[in-house]
Amino acid sequence: MSKRILIIDDEEAVRRSFILAFEDIGFKVDTAESGEKGLQMKKDSKYDLIFLDLKMPGMNGVETLRQIRKNDKNVPIYIFTAFHKEFMNQLRVAAGEGYDFEIMQKPMSLDIVSITKHILEKSGVC
Amino acid sequence: MYEFRLYVVGQTPKSITVVDNLKGLLESTFDGHYNLKVIDVIENPEMAEKDNILATPTLLKSSPPPERRVIGDLSDRKKVLLNLGFTIESREIRKCKEEIDC
Repeated sequence: MSKRILIIDDEEAVRRSFILAFEDIGFKVDTAESGEKGLQMKKDSKYDLIFLDLKMPGMNGVETLRQIRKNDKNVPIYIFTAFHKEFMNQLRVAAGEGYDFEIMQKPMSLDIVSITKHILEKSGVC
Repeated sequence: MYEFRLYVVGQTPKSITVVDNLKGLLESTFDGHYNLKVIDVIENPEMAEKDNILATPTLLKSSPPPERRVIGDLSDRKKVLLNLGFTIESREIRKCKEEIDC
């Protein structure tokens, strides 16, 4: 069965890039343009991996993380952000609150497909 | 001496597990002949960017060359060692353990 990935990012170009990158190799990709929409999609479907943008209007990445973790402590969540100090404060708070998440550098690397396959290999499907 | 840098996210439950697993692996494999630096990407994002870290957790073997890196939760010891360029039966590891200073 194909691995299912959810991308939550307010930038359409980013969502399209993920679809192009991952559907070509057999992953099923769902996208959401906001934290609120992503949360609803997560409630409706089961995902193997979630990519989440840190900075979004409305419900930002950290708040979306908190809401997802209320009902699912296990789904791997990668938060996309530039690796600059100014973006780390929110992540520091989330880590301090004990939420499990990983960080992926933005802008998206061309290696993201191989990185994602490596991450999901732990689940034994890739 | 083997030099490693491990990039993680703060002190999340998962990061703590990753660090503990890795320390166990390195201790049993290199018998103390290694240095491990654990770097929190949240506190040191510039260092992560300088090392071209794409995602956490990432384990970087910086010495001896060649540089190798592994991305993932590092719980599969054989896979980690393989991706770092070692095998359990690696002559390199046996040699390291036999020498006084390596």
